[in-house]
Amino acid sequence: MGMLHNLADLIKIKKDKMTILVLGLNNSGKSTIVNHFKKPGDQSAIMVPTVGFMVEQFYSMAGVSIKAIDMSGATRYRNLWEHQFKNCQGIIYVIDSSDRMRFVVVKDELDLVLQHPHLCNRTVPILFYGNKSDAEDSLSSVKIAAALSLENIKEKPWHICSSNAISGEGLGEGVQWLVQQMRFAMLSNKDASKAKSKHSK
Amino acid sequence: MAGGAPNWLHVETEDESPRLTTLSSCMALSDVQCDGYIRLLAADISLEDEAHEPSATLKVFRGLKLKQEQPLPGIPTAIESLYIDETEPKTPVIAVAIAESVLFYRHLKPYFKYTIPALDSDDLELEVWRKLPVVKADTHDALLESLKGIDHAKLSRKSQRLLQLTEAERAPFINTHRDSPVGRVGSIVIMCCIKRVSSDANPPSHLVLATDTGHIFILEPQGFNLVYQGRTCSYQTAVPSLLSVQGTYETDFCIVVATRNGGVYLLRKSNSEGQEIFKLSTPLTGLLLLPIDQTILASTMDNRYQCYSKRGKLLYQVQLDSLPVCILPLTMTHLGITLVAVALKGGAVKFFLQRYQVDEFVLEETVDAMLYGRMGMEDHVLTLVTQSGQMIVKILRRVSRFEPKAEALAGRRLGASDQKLTDGSTILDKPKKSSIFVEQAAREKQQAKATYGSFQVELWRLRHTAARATIDAINSSESTISGDLTHAPVKLSAEVCGSGPAFRLYLTVQNLSTFKMASNLMILLHADRRHYTIQQTLARLPSVLPGIPLRVDFEVVALLDPLDKLPPASLTLDNSLIRVMLMKAGQAKPLIAAAVTMPQSEAAF
Repeated sequence: MGMLHNLADLIKIKKDKMTILVLGLNNSGKSTIVNHFKKPGDQSAIMVPTVGFMVEQFYSMAGVSIKAIDMSGATRYRNLWEHQFKNCQGIIYVIDSSDRMRFVVVKDELDLVLQHPHLCNRTVPILFYGNKSDAEDSLSSVKIAAALSLENIKEKPWHICSSNAISGEGLGEGVQWLVQQMRFAMLSNKDASKAKSKHSK
Repeated sequence: MAGGAPNWLHVETEDESPRLTTLSSCMALSDVQCDGYIRLLAADISLEDEAHEPSATLKVFRGLKLKQEQPLPGIPTAIESLYIDETEPKTPVIAVAIAESVLFYRHLKPYFKYTIPALDSDDLELEVWRKLPVVKADTHDALLESLKGIDHAKLSRKSQRLLQLTEAERAPFINTHRDSPVGRVGSIVIMCCIKRVSSDANPPSHLVLATDTGHIFILEPQGFNLVYQGRTCSYQTAVPSLLSVQGTYETDFCIVVATRNGGVYLLRKSNSEGQEIFKLSTPLTGLLLLPIDQTILASTMDNRYQCYSKRGKLLYQVQLDSLPVCILPLTMTHLGITLVAVALKGGAVKFFLQRYQVDEFVLEETVDAMLYGRMGMEDHVLTLVTQSGQMIVKILRRVSRFEPKAEALAGRRLGASDQKLTDGSTILDKPKKSSIFVEQAAREKQQAKATYGSFQVELWRLRHTAARATIDAINSSESTISGDLTHAPVKLSAEVCGSGPAFRLYLTVQNLSTFKMASNLMILLHADRRHYTIQQTLARLPSVLPGIPLRVDFEVVALLDPLDKLPPASLTLDNSLIRVMLMKAGQAKPLIAAAVTMPQSEAAF
């Protein structure tokens, strides 16, 4: 009985839409990454700084429908990020791995995201992209993780991979992990709610 | 301040941070590569290297990483990055002021050199230089003496050098420089930028130059013409040391110049000779003209941070803990405020919003130079260079807000903190001199003697009236029983024991009332100081109950002539008295005033 339910859940989730929030500082390559996931016909060749946010819809492998909210990273638009926290199942946090000077800003903004009341008590998987891995003084993903002290994130699943949004290198691996984590999170959420409802009965 | 968290994020560097010896004026932010990434330009000045002449290199940093360097032909006084035209793509030009010229670099390659115009030199000096190479060496001394007669600052550089040389060095120096022009060229001491028109993104700018001869020039860097020439003030010795400019060249602008003597002058577009706004007795370490409220901020060597209006009125001042080394305006457009950062000796950096300190941090050593603006991809970056050459980069947190602390504002409302801040040197509210005051002052000056005389007469008259009133009061209450009906009636009796010169005076105070208590009584003894000494002349009495007499005693010593051991001649039977007064606290008139006749003292042996 339980197994059947799980299976049904899996099928249901496949039909579900997943909302991913794409965050990161300005000029870190968020729109370029989102652009890469679009169908070849829809991709745009020139990237301009995003104003406000953009919503993109695409299908990942295994037919999961993903809604990506591509937030602007400009300083004056960063306060818009928190309005999307409630309705997201996963976060992609893009880091410019060559801009060492701004790691401290990256960390500060990340802390603000993690401490936000809409996120701090939920299991939202976070995927970090160490973008621009082709740049000459880019740091490895291990070094970025150390610089941002990602090991302190205990209550959320996270993963970091270096990427190159222009060539698309490393992007697929990350998204695969994220989709998987979002599924787990949803299942555990449903289990939890079911357990709760049983208890109440 | 946001929940105790620092407002400034410190940029960490895992490898050693770059070393830099520079000044605030020798740092600039520029998009030198035209790629949208603002790099830091700084002149690294090496003075310590004894083997070489002091030299400077222009360094370009991407973030905290040194990317390029280029030697400079001299020690720069200032570096500015500016756009000279509106052609796209916009390419910044780096202007480097060295001695009397400004070097322009484009794409970090030399592009143009501008030299400020020379001044006419003294006729006498020209004459001396015409003679020097042709006359005999032994007459040089006389010629040099005549050169010394001219103000040293007005001499050309080669004459100044010549006067410093020893006799042996003179002849070859004269030979090598005999044909060079005797022009006098001031050195550029300050250079800064002024936008030509209103503030759209990266507008073309002009350069404001101040020379040590007191001239202020505005250079238009497209055709390299001087479009404005001014003077700090009418006299020669006012050498500019600090300068701040606001406004746009086309519409209107203000230039505030501080001189080494502590004077601050204001030049306007319409007025090319500086007007003195205020003069300080201590040298200034920093000067700013704020953009919005158009006030002038000055930090001085006596640890003060002062704000003046453009008319020279002191608006407020803050006492600092230690010497301010440099000050810097931080314009925060997203908050709509302009903070002023003040770096103090010892390493503290304080941030002021008007008179209120809104933030501070402390570094390990004194900050020598500061720069603020868009660097890299970040808008609000503060770069600090410490005394030992360490470069520290701080980025403003996005969520930071700067507000004066509530207690500072509250104190301000009470008007107390302002007084305390400036401890004793507040601006006094002087009343305007009225015509009556002026007349009175003049009269006092003219008839000083008569004024003094009449004052003295009145004073003596007052003293006389006071003495007469005292005697009247004492005489009126001369009895042994108090006559005041509002209090309990009191009786005083006296008894003198001893044969001299030491006597003991016993006084008995008796309350004659049947139910009232006599309280708060005092006994005062009064005698001629030449005749008697009394150790204790005043005694506070305890409350005197009805029917119970109170006895107090005093020691009275008659004074004897130390030579013949006899009482002084002025002591007669009539005046050998001691006055005893019984007083009630809070009452001017004594209750009882009695005179006790003292017996003749025996001579002491």
